[in-house]
Amino acid sequence: MSATTGDMTRSVAEARRRWLRMHGWTIGVWVLLAVLLAWYATLIPAFGSFTIASIAKNSLQTVYLAISQGVVVIVGGIDLGAGAMMVLANSISARLMDGQGFGMSMVISAAVLAGAALLNGFVGWIIVRSRVPDIIVTLATLFVFSGVALMILPSPGGGASGGFRAMFTGSAGGVGTNYWPSLAALVIPLAAVSVWLRRSPRGLALYAVGSDVNAAYLSGVNTARARITAYAIGGAFAALAGLAITAITANGDPRFTNAANGTLNSVAAVVLGGIALTGGVGSVIGAVAAGVILFILNPILTAMSIDPNTAQVIRGVLIVAVMMTAGLLEVRRRRTE
Amino acid sequence: MSLDVGPARDTLIGGEPPARRAWMRVMSERPLMVLGAVLVALVLATGAIEPGYLSLRGLRNTLLLAAPLGIMAAGQTLLMLTRGIDLSVAMIGTAAAYVAGNQSPNGAGIAIVLGLVVGCVAGATNGVGVGVFRVNPLIMTLALSGIILGLFTQWAQTFLQGSTSVAPFIRTIGAGSFFDHRIPWNVLIWGAVAIVMIGGLRRTGLGRMLYGVGDNPEAVRLAGVRIWQVLLAAYTISGFFAALGGILLAGQSGAVDLRLAQNFLLPSVAAAVIGGTSIFGGVGTYSGTIFGALILSVLNSMLTFLDAGQAVKQVVYGLIVLALAWLYAAVTRAE
Repeated sequence: MSATTGDMTRSVAEARRRWLRMHGWTIGVWVLLAVLLAWYATLIPAFGSFTIASIAKNSLQTVYLAISQGVVVIVGGIDLGAGAMMVLANSISARLMDGQGFGMSMVISAAVLAGAALLNGFVGWIIVRSRVPDIIVTLATLFVFSGVALMILPSPGGGASGGFRAMFTGSAGGVGTNYWPSLAALVIPLAAVSVWLRRSPRGLALYAVGSDVNAAYLSGVNTARARITAYAIGGAFAALAGLAITAITANGDPRFTNAANGTLNSVAAVVLGGIALTGGVGSVIGAVAAGVILFILNPILTAMSIDPNTAQVIRGVLIVAVMMTAGLLEVRRRRTE
Repeated sequence: MSLDVGPARDTLIGGEPPARRAWMRVMSERPLMVLGAVLVALVLATGAIEPGYLSLRGLRNTLLLAAPLGIMAAGQTLLMLTRGIDLSVAMIGTAAAYVAGNQSPNGAGIAIVLGLVVGCVAGATNGVGVGVFRVNPLIMTLALSGIILGLFTQWAQTFLQGSTSVAPFIRTIGAGSFFDHRIPWNVLIWGAVAIVMIGGLRRTGLGRMLYGVGDNPEAVRLAGVRIWQVLLAAYTISGFFAALGGILLAGQSGAVDLRLAQNFLLPSVAAAVIGGTSIFGGVGTYSGTIFGALILSVLNSMLTFLDAGQAVKQVVYGLIVLALAWLYAAVTRAE
């Protein structure tokens, strides 16, 4: 791949091509999201602060799940239990916060987040230690976590304090026009994770392990720690998605369908966002944009008065079409190289 | 395949008590014997909890559940051999059952054939996506599952409306028994599937290519195999088995709804994993999967006798899958 010395123009062109290949997909996803948002603005009669608040608030769940899955997939794993962890955190927090004040809610949130990080870190440890494929171990945690959620909260219920709800939604009732808290809840964790992944040695270790675990090990990266860290962060973000649901709906819903759909959406967001399932490639920023795209399709299709079931079909076809195109491009690229 | 690196490297080299090593050897050389012992132990334990269970009538209920699970897990086994997975088996089975229910007034034969055709078409769609366009199997089958759910939720209110009850013949093969009401018919169908699967994997070219594609795709490709054709065939067969399982389930419940097969998706993967099929491809047998399906079904009966709810069942299933997968990984490494 190295350009010959003296041939500056070629090396510049080469560098530009490489940069495009690295970031092209992420940029494309963000452009698509911008187009969809603009289109949505023209579809509905009044695009104002209420709509922005609603979009920001309702995409929180998908965004956190996309970050959760993204970190794990970058390190070369996959967490099929992410949706179940979300449901578990939602069930526990809704049950414990019912009738509590803001202070106690914050204590509960912190405990849930720390517990989720520890628990999923333990899952990561099992994967490293047992050498059972990630997909099998996390398939098991999908069963186990959603089972435990059902034990803790056998049927939908629970509650949350107004102050806690306002933290994610901007108002104590969960519905309002103040969109800043939701936007902050969306941007701050995303920025923190992206910077950590791209700038800190431990974050970069995740990419190293994901792209070639043996090479990373031989160059001195603590591969076990990188993988366990990724699962712990993934668990914390899945739990954050669960807390966001508690804040938005003031309700806990332990049904298995929620867990399965959560996992499905997170994997779809990650793949559409340009993170390769083979690991080491892509960024959580792309995954988050893809997550918001997957969410925004629902209100767009509703605004076009398309049946929600058709919307589900369109989403599925879209995912397959994008993946097929990516697959074809990959096959062609390999042939020309 | 790869360099053996990582912190767990030294755990199984040397320093192993001889008894444990001998036990490991039995597990690696005769895995079916170990699975059989686990199965017998589970059956006896269930019998201790509920004495009536240890009779042909008691075991009948377990077999009735094991047959559709084992048939759905057949496709799963084939695909895991090729490093794939099919997360759409439950939705394909449900779709086939819906079509079979809708066509029941035209006769059971037509209903079953059309149901199976739906399964093959859905499976072939997965096959084209995975084989030709190189879409990740996880994404492809999950997306197809979502597409089918959307389509059939709509169609259930339009032209498939009122197709909730199935023909008497389908009910007989799904829930009926012969030999003085002791052996369910669906076990006979499962037996046929088992013969085709075990014989096909061992003796046919396609069977050997499935192992080859999972074991070393590059070598198989250089040997002149068109991998996409092998994958297309495998996914189509998986769709066929999913449809067959779904139709038998419809016969068992006598009615069709969109949640018909949803509780069978994860157990179908679990059955193959328990049976020793590796998700990395190239390793596994259908005989193992049969034991996996039986173990899960006996476990289900046991937990039902213990009045355990769905929550406890999920936790136990998950822990069993994890424990057995860990055991297999340890045994493979010890070799």
